[in-house]
This record gives sequence, structure tokens and C-alpha cells, in this order.
Amino acid sequence: MPTDLSALRARVENAAKVLGRCWPLQSYIAANPLAGLEKLPFDEAVAEGQALYGGRGYPSVAQLRAAWDAGAINANHLADRLEAYGFTESPAHLLDRMEAATPPSVNRSNDSLLNRVMAKWLAVFVDQGQATWTMPRRQEGFYAAWRAVAPYDTTLAHRDCLHDLPERPLEALAAALSDVEPSQWERVLRHHLTALPGWASFIKWRSQDRHDAWQAAHPITMTGYLAARLHTARAIGLPVAPDGVAEAAVGASRNGRDRPAMAAPWLEAWEATYREQLLHEVQAAAATMDTGAAPDRPKAQLVFCIDVRSEVIRRHVEQAGPYQTFGYAGFFGLPMQFQPYDSDNRITACPPIVDPKHRIQEVCGDHRPDAAAAHERWVALGRAWQRLIKSLKHNVAAAFGFVEGSGGLFGVAMAARTLIPGWLRTQHQAWAKRVPTSDTFCDLSLDRAPAADHADGLPVGLSAEERSYYAEAAFRLMGWQQFAPVVVFTGHGSETVNNPYASSLDCGACAGHPGGPNARILAAICNDPAVREVLSERGIVIPEDTVFLAAEHTTTTDAVRLFHPPTLTERQAKIVDQLRRDLHTARVQAAAERAPALQGARRSHAVADTARRAADWAETRPEWGLSGNAAFIMAPRALTAELSLDGRAFLHAYNWQTDDRGTALETIMTGPLVVGEWINMQYYFSTVDNAVYGSGSKITQNVVGNVGVWQGNGGDLMTGLPLQSLQVDDATPYHHPLRLLAVVYAPRARVSRVMERNAQLRSLFDHEWMALTVLDPEHSNRRYVYQPGGTWATPSTESRDDQDTEPALAL
Amino acid sequence: MSDTSHNIEHTLHPLKKIEIIVKGKREHFVQDLLEKSGVSGYTIHRNVAGKGASGFHEGHLLFNDEASLVMFFAVSDQSKIQAIINGLSPLFESSSGVMFVSDTKVVRLTKFLSAEGQQDDGS
Repeated sequence: MPTDLSALRARVENAAKVLGRCWPLQSYIAANPLAGLEKLPFDEAVAEGQALYGGRGYPSVAQLRAAWDAGAINANHLADRLEAYGFTESPAHLLDRMEAATPPSVNRSNDSLLNRVMAKWLAVFVDQGQATWTMPRRQEGFYAAWRAVAPYDTTLAHRDCLHDLPERPLEALAAALSDVEPSQWERVLRHHLTALPGWASFIKWRSQDRHDAWQAAHPITMTGYLAARLHTARAIGLPVAPDGVAEAAVGASRNGRDRPAMAAPWLEAWEATYREQLLHEVQAAAATMDTGAAPDRPKAQLVFCIDVRSEVIRRHVEQAGPYQTFGYAGFFGLPMQFQPYDSDNRITACPPIVDPKHRIQEVCGDHRPDAAAAHERWVALGRAWQRLIKSLKHNVAAAFGFVEGSGGLFGVAMAARTLIPGWLRTQHQAWAKRVPTSDTFCDLSLDRAPAADHADGLPVGLSAEERSYYAEAAFRLMGWQQFAPVVVFTGHGSETVNNPYASSLDCGACAGHPGGPNARILAAICNDPAVREVLSERGIVIPEDTVFLAAEHTTTTDAVRLFHPPTLTERQAKIVDQLRRDLHTARVQAAAERAPALQGARRSHAVADTARRAADWAETRPEWGLSGNAAFIMAPRALTAELSLDGRAFLHAYNWQTDDRGTALETIMTGPLVVGEWINMQYYFSTVDNAVYGSGSKITQNVVGNVGVWQGNGGDLMTGLPLQSLQVDDATPYHHPLRLLAVVYAPRARVSRVMERNAQLRSLFDHEWMALTVLDPEHSNRRYVYQPGGTWATPSTESRDDQDTEPALAL
Repeated sequence: MSDTSHNIEHTLHPLKKIEIIVKGKREHFVQDLLEKSGVSGYTIHRNVAGKGASGFHEGHLLFNDEASLVMFFAVSDQSKIQAIINGLSPLFESSSGVMFVSDTKVVRLTKFLSAEGQQDDGS
């Protein structure tokens, strides 16, 4: 490879560094849109984000004013922070001054035709089954497919220049840059990548994903995209390097900024207000926490995902009976792809920072052939119906007659879905009971099955050693001490219709998919006698009378459905029967607790309202998702069991007394906590600038290519959350844009060791993308606040707890 | 059975060895570069621990495959190693990572010089 081309490849990689990654709608991952800038301190990164994308990095004046008026920002904390930043005016005056300050405008009008053309070709290329007529030659890759059709694009005035482009994208890109100094390549490329950051982030994800079937079938690379874009610019008559681009370096936005953003002290005061109250409550709970004798053996233990929504249902499950609950990453520690029965679709069911290492398949067992046959029959009928409708709608000759003949029927169905969605759901559920679900007749391919392996490299099944390893990891990480007769691994998913963002409401740890399959697999592993024997040798003794079950929590309705259980003893069956009743009670209570926050819901009809939301095709807000998230607590449940955390805290079980070497803590802090930070930052930026980092209103969104949404009928791919997921209405915020507070209940020295060993984790705290507070049980539960740079501060108010209005945290 | 191997004088051929250590998220880029450069093979060590300018990086994290370091090494002739150096140098201007180039010797020369660089496809 010639030297220039070799260097150009690296320049493309460097230019793309500022971009985050954007996943497709089917596996929506909440990620920091400024992930590419996380190596910078937060304040500098958001300024850079403003320069690159035109996005606001701090809450708007309206959001701050609303929080201030609602008392969410404590006056003393604010005074403290304003003074630290050198502001002397009154809060009201400062808000007015901020309001008057005009945000810098971003002028990309010269690029508008270029952007429209590129968005068009990208949309037709990456289409995942939405289009009836697809782009030709997609299998050859984006650049090749574009090169074949672009010379005929009549929107390009100078399209003749596209007839003789090099065959290879890297050479084409070099040719497009031939008039640009090599020292300027990176800046020019970055300019073009950040012109459509949504699409570029999507390409970044897709070109790096080794297991995506669409990428394997229709490959696209950053080089191919840039080559096409730069030549399109030429064909429009635009310069490849617009004026001023060559001077714009990353970091340029910081130059000349003599003072930090005016909103920074407000955000910090808002955070301090929430954090102080939370830490005050947790610290008080720590003081009274019973650490003495082992508690009575619970009837059942339920392991939920760390997701903030689990906190509400866990509280009500615990109140409903003698049950203990735990928080664990909702993929249950299984780095895998799952292939459901009767489907070629392979679902990646682990977090984005973990590579899948196994594939588990759902295969038809021989224990219930009648159920399998019934399932097949109904599914075949449903698919035939869908095929028939689609072919009638899309066939040129049949479409007119079809509309004439069936219009009345569809009109009635539309009216019913609009007016009585709750009733329709009940009827549908009654009908669906006739169709056996796959968990009742399928087995999971847990044993290694080399014959079933595919060429893409993931082994099907798990070796005996791997099964024991994943089971042991789960119990060690959660600090498990005694086993109840019934243990239920409870994944979670949502229930929503007509919602492109459905997967954003599913389990983030399962890459935006429901966590039920993972729960079933871990339960099956733990019921394996060979696994129990190995665990026993390693000091984890599971009593013979303990059985593991799997369940799925539907976060929209708070219903918890138990999957088909293994054979149960009489005692276990009795416990499970009671558990089902208690889960229903918990559901009623949890739905009632959530009702006031959902517009139009009444506490007395909360269950019916959640059911209606799950089935209503006009509902823009089936649930609040992870809105409100602001803290991540790593502690035994005993510390938080008596607190109501308002569904705002991720809860990961952690027992410092069973983790002398700090291995479990390191795993939690470098894994689930980092994913929590991604989610938190997605909610933060989608809230502070919904138009740039979010995805705007659902009302004007359209799904494009089944991969993402755009506003109206073209433009950039919108990467963040919709307005309706964050705001009650246009003017009333729901999500509080606060950076995540990590709280660890462990000796401070142990936490320090974890930080020292993990530079990437530490940098997130040093650069203030999140904050960390340790409650040290070896020092009377004393509070230690991590300071950027690696030191610890002890809040001065610990000795004067009575002065609860005083600022207590030095942030 | 008689062992005759000690009677054979193996010829050692001089070549260059490159060792590259980058963050996990750059693995894809470096692997791609090695494929395109025409080296006949390479070795990847994932989950490498170590300390550099940005601090210590732990390897073998259970739930994070992106945070730890990846080490590559490849052996080839001067021109192909130079192509890799040219392709990596711009990367290290803005990403952390290191590369070491050293002289080495191999017995089976053809094993290291047989490959041609992979061409780009149309993606």
C-alpha cells in the first residue's frame, strides 16, 4: 500500500474519533453522543460539542429556571458554586443575563444540498427491509453501489465528473483530496463527518460491528462514505475544503474562552442538591443497618436488573412477602447472542462494551410435541396472513381492489385501536393464551455443539467450565450468602406498539432487547447438578431444595411473568403459587406509585392505565423509561431497602465483606457502572439539547430504512431520545439532566485500588463525566468524595448533620 | 530411532519485527492495516495489562472488552513493516499507543514473505 494511502487511512480513523456510535433502532443503545470527546474534561468537551455540532452542553435557562422555581436547586449550594466560579450577581439576575445571551449560530447552509443528497443515498443503501425496491449492487459495498448510480443523479449539476472515479474507495478519497494539503486532510475529513453526525455515527457503529448481518451483506466503511461525499461535493460545485475549515482544529473552541459556561455552577448546585439528600438518607440508613446475625431464610429471592425501573418494583415485591431482592446487570453476565426458536435472527444480548462470545439457541425439545405443533400452526397462519396483506398492498394490480374491498374492515380496526386499545389488548391476550410460548416446549442449547457452529466464529453452547464460571461470577459479584428455596432471575422488557423507540425501553444491558432469554439461560445453568457440584467445591453451596426460575418484568405494566418452571417439589410449588399472587400485588402497588408521574393516569385505575398505554398506538409515552436516572449505588440491599429512591437509582448488589481482593468491585465499576454512565449521558444530552443530541418530537419523526428516525422526510439520522421520553410537554421537563453519582459502600482504600488499576474508568471521574462518593464501613460509614486528580475530600458538614440546609459537598 | 536434527545447520534469515500496543477500541483499525499491508500473518494478544502515559490499564475485565489493551506483533521485510509504520504514525498523533520495531531472524523465510496485501473492497 503506498505511503500516502496508508497515512490517509489513519487520517480517516483520527477524524472519526470525535464521533460517538449510533446503533440501529432494533437494538437501541443509550450512549453518550459526545463519547468521542470523553478524553476531555466535561466543560471542554461540551464546548467542543457546541463547536462541532452546534449543541448546547448545559441545561437551558428555561430548565434551570424551572428547577430553581421548583426548589430542586438549593440556594446555599447555588451560592457556594456561584462564588467558586466568581459570579457575584443574584441568581435571578444571572438567569436573566443567560437568557439574553444569544447562543452562537451554526451556519451549514452551503452544505445543505450536499447533506440532502448524502442522506438520500445512505438511506437507500442501509435500508433493512423497509423499502420494496432496494438499491442495486448493495452487496458490493456502499462506495461501489453509489459509484454505479451517482452519475445519473439529476440533482448534481456537474455529475459528469463522477463517470471515471477510481474503483477503490481509498484511492477515490485520495483523488478527491488531491488539491488539499496532506496536513489539512484530517480537518477537512472531520468537517465532512460532523456535517451529518447521526449518519456518520451510525456508519462508525456498523463498520466496527463484527457480528452485524446487514454489514456482512451490505458493507459500508467510513472511507467509502467520505469518498462518496467528497466527490458529491465536487459534482455539486462545492469546494472539498470549504473556507475556514482548514483552520478549525479540535480544541479551537476552548481558545479565547476566558470563563466557564455560566450554567456550570447552576448544574453543579442542582447536582449537589440531589446528591446531598440522597447521601444523607443512605448514610443514615448505613448507621442503622443490621450487620449482625444472618437474616431468616427468605421464601424466595428475586434478582432484577440494575435498571432504575427495578427499584420501584423491588420495593413492592419486598413489601408483599418474605422475599429478598438483588440487583445484577440484566444480561446476567452472559456475553452471548441468542437465537430464538423458529427464527434466523441472532440477537446480541449483552452490553455494547462486551463482545458476545457464545451463541445459545432455542431448540424444540421432545417433551411437549403437542405444544410445539400448536405453536407452529398458529405462527404459520400468522405469517401467511402478513404475507398476503403485504403482497396485496404492494402489488400494482391488486392494491386498488384491496383498498376498495377491505377499507371498511381496516377502518373498523383503526377505530377500535384508537378508541378501545385496552379492551383489544385483553382480547388479544385471551387469544394468545392458546398459542404455546416457546419456553414451554423448547430447550436451550447449553451444551457445546460444534456441529451447529456457523462460519462467523461464535461457538454454539457453553463448555462445562464456562457454565460454572458464569454461575460463580453471578453469585460472587452479588456477594450471595444464603439461598432461598426459590431463586428467580428476572429480566425485563417493555410492551409498546407503534413505537420506533421500543427497544430503548428494553434492557440496556441486553443491547436493547428483553432480558428474559438471559434469565432463562442462567436459571438453567444453576439447575445443572454438575454446575452445582463445581460451585460447591469452590465454596458456593447451593442447597438441594433450591430451584432456579426465570421471569421477565414488563416495565410498562409492572407485570412479572414467570417462564415455564422446571419440575418443582411440593414446597417449591407452594412458594411459587404464593409468589405469583404477591407479584400481582406488587404490580398493583408499583403501577399506583408510578401513576401520578404519567399524565392522565389515576392511582385507582393505574393497572388499567398501564395496560392501555402498552396497547395504544397513539400513545407517545408508554412509560418513562430511565428518565430521572441520577445515581448508581453499589451496596448490599440492606443499605437501601428502607429508602424510596423514586426510580432514580441504578442498584447493583455488592458485598464488601465477601470481596477482599476487590475483584467484584472492579468488575462492577468497569462494566455496569460504565454502561450506567452511557445511559445517564444519553438522557442528559437528549434533555439539554433535544434538537441536536436528542431526536425531537415523535409527532414529526419518520422511520428511515428500519435503522433510525429522521425529522420530516430527510436529513440527518437522529441519534438521541425523543422529546416525549424526557418532557411532560413542550414546556415542562420531567427528566432532571444531572450527571451520574456513583455511590460505593466499601473501604475507600479498595475503591482507590480499583481506580489506580483502571485508567479509563478513572478518567471518567477525573474529567467529571460522573462523580463518586464512598461510604467507608471500616471508618464509621464516613463519606469520602472523589476529587478530580485522585484525592478524596470529606464533607465538612458530617459533624453538623442538623444543619441540613447547609451545602455539604465540595463538588 | 535416531535423531538427526542436530546434524542440520539451519540458516537464519534477517527480517523486521513490529510490536504494537493500542487500546481495545483501535483493534479493528490495526488489524485492518496489517491485513492491507501484506504481512503474511500476525499475532494478537487481547486483554493485555500495562502502564503508559495515561496510567495503568487492567486486563481481563469480566464485563468490559473495550477498556483493556491489545498487543499485535508481526514479522516481515523492511518495506512492509515500513508501510505499517507509515499507517500507524498519524494515529499515534492523537491516540495513545506504542510500536516497537526490531531486527529478528527466522528459519523459514517463505512463510513470512508469501502474502500480498488485501485490496479494499467497494465498501
